Amino acid sequence: MKKRLLTIAGAVVASGALALSGCSNNNNGGDTPSDGPITLTVSGWSLQTTPEFQVLADAFTAANSDIKVEVVEYDAADYQTLIQVDMSAGKAPDIITIKEAKVTYSWATGGQLLDISDVVRALPANVSGAGSYAVNGVNYGAPYRQDSWVLFYNKDLFDAAGVAYPDGQWTWDDYAKAARDVTAALKAAGSQAVGAYEHSWQSTLQGFANAQSPGADLFSGKYDYLKPYYERVLALQNDGAQPTFGTVTTNKLTYQGQFGKQQSAMMAMGSWYVATLVTQQKGGEADDFKWGIAPVPQYNSSTFAKPVTFGDPTGMGINAKIDSAKLDAAKKFLTFVASEQAAVALAEIGIVSSVTGDAVTDAYFAQAGLPTDELSRDAMSNHETKPENPQGENIAAIQTILGATHTAVMSESQSVDDAIAEAQDRVANEVGI
Amino acid sequence: MTTVVEPVAPVVEPDPKRRRNRLRRRNTVSGWTFILPNFVGFALLTLVPIVVLFYISFTNWNAFGAADWVGLKNYSRLFKDRSYRVALWNTVYYTVFHLPLTLAVSLGLSLLLNRKIKGVAFFRTAAFFPYITSVVAIAIVWNLLFSPEYGPINQILSFVGVDNPPRWTVSANWSMPAIIIVATWREMGYYMILFLAGLQAIPRELYEAARVDGASAWGRFRNVTLPCLRPTTFFVTVMLSIESFKVFDLILVMTDGGPGQSTYVLSQMIFNKAFVENQFGYASAVSVSLFVICLAITIFQFLINRRSER
Repeated sequence: MKKRLLTIAGAVVASGALALSGCSNNNNGGDTPSDGPITLTVSGWSLQTTPEFQVLADAFTAANSDIKVEVVEYDAADYQTLIQVDMSAGKAPDIITIKEAKVTYSWATGGQLLDISDVVRALPANVSGAGSYAVNGVNYGAPYRQDSWVLFYNKDLFDAAGVAYPDGQWTWDDYAKAARDVTAALKAAGSQAVGAYEHSWQSTLQGFANAQSPGADLFSGKYDYLKPYYERVLALQNDGAQPTFGTVTTNKLTYQGQFGKQQSAMMAMGSWYVATLVTQQKGGEADDFKWGIAPVPQYNSSTFAKPVTFGDPTGMGINAKIDSAKLDAAKKFLTFVASEQAAVALAEIGIVSSVTGDAVTDAYFAQAGLPTDELSRDAMSNHETKPENPQGENIAAIQTILGATHTAVMSESQSVDDAIAEAQDRVANEVGI
Repeated sequence: MTTVVEPVAPVVEPDPKRRRNRLRRRNTVSGWTFILPNFVGFALLTLVPIVVLFYISFTNWNAFGAADWVGLKNYSRLFKDRSYRVALWNTVYYTVFHLPLTLAVSLGLSLLLNRKIKGVAFFRTAAFFPYITSVVAIAIVWNLLFSPEYGPINQILSFVGVDNPPRWTVSANWSMPAIIIVATWREMGYYMILFLAGLQAIPRELYEAARVDGASAWGRFRNVTLPCLRPTTFFVTVMLSIESFKVFDLILVMTDGGPGQSTYVLSQMIFNKAFVENQFGYASAVSVSLFVICLAITIFQFLINRRSER
């Protein structure tokens, strides 16, 4: 019996040792000759369909011939998990692309990213989104891409309904009225299309409420400010001016299909959809119709001059385990990705960069298939974009709780007041705010 | 099977005790050799992670850097966490209805398909199909069927005169029943196969004897089929209760825990805490609690089974 126990123990120890030796292959990677060209590695995903990494790398090398940039490809869906595994194993690339800004807190406090406040402080004033990578006043990322939410509208459907286009001076009540008017007019004309579409994501409602409501703060633990936004949308849903939440989730409606196939005349969506819509109209997946972009409706008229919207940037940080010989080159690269030169290169392939300016807007609207009216240009270039996920230890937990609030209210399983009260209780109980 | 008889050289064995020992050692070695490949795999991929899991549940590990020992803090947080109670309650709710329902449906199906009827192989395959179908496809199709406004289920319900048909996956009250229906439909085929195997192992003579004694069909089922199926039923019950407590993928793709928290279960809480909120220490504590619950239920079932075996 004793012997058998010993054998089992031996097997366990041996397998444990095997497991450990498998992990201990601690190779910091990277070849750094003392002189000659430096090679930087950058993490990216789905390089076939996401050309932005290669565009940035090529544009950078064209300007700095002594630094080569290699893009390391990861799977897009599991990017965060995979890169975290590589970071803790010390095998991650020199430059880490931060796909979702909300992970910055745990990466930064986990000691995975370098303090690059010097780089960020030197960025020009027309770069937005750097605040999304600041943790306790220290910067860990430089944004190269900054999508923000705008209002897409179908000019053909508005014309058919005889309703005036959005003019950039809309509050949410104006939006709701237009949605009802368009729905009624189209219904009278025998069309099944409705005025608005709101996708099932919590951000389609809470993103705006968080960004626009006076005094709104996700970390306050008080969410009464969501109420007017929910009441407005529930009324729209009940009046048939937008597909109900139940229809959106059970029938797995896609926002691309809903707007692209002219089922809804208006839709608030992130600016990434511009490139998708252009491609889908070209490829025949979307109908051929005239559309425009307007600033998102506002809380009240006080912000019409500079409309408030939301969005999280995509940025890059420096791996804390980077070879010190490469550090200067890495900082140079980060300065570059948030520059106007990089922004123009990105705009040419349809990506909304973190840099605003006429040169960038011109390059963006030079693409074929985009609307050319002044309001569309203005909507894309003039706005104040607040972060969707402000940095803080508990942001993920709070967003999870508010996500449950969203499904409970939108499905009308709970009244708005009860759902908000429950969210506040849960945040107090589970997060301790 | 041919048996090769090796010519045994006449060896003079002085000590029969030593010979026995050597034989035993050889048997032990060959026994270990047989189970070693499986055991190494099990140890590396299952045992080590489980041991590590127990350790992590006493730390505040967040996927990076050091895991600081926090003692029982994660566990005391569990008892105060309202979401944990909700998740535990939902998991129990799911199990209490899903287990007997699946047991009954799969037993019924197996009785139905244990006869000599035309096309029995086809029907058996058809019943097994949901089990091997991708859960994502299942979720999409069933969500369409359950759609409150345009779904065929509610159209049929209103056709037969139900005034306010349930809103299924978009109602906090009906989302769990909807999940239970789909889960039962999905898993019945697998347990049906187990019951079929059990049914076919029942000696025919027992039925004949019962018939001679004048037992009705119901009497034969109660007094022959059920007692003879007890080992299978026991196995199915143990597997089903563990599977029910671990329910995850179907809920994740069908309702993602919603609306509100109406279908939020323990496995999803583990997933959320670990991979969304990076609280691996706390998530491990929830995992350990799930492990303890499954273990306790299994031990309880074994005890009950042993008592009724006597």
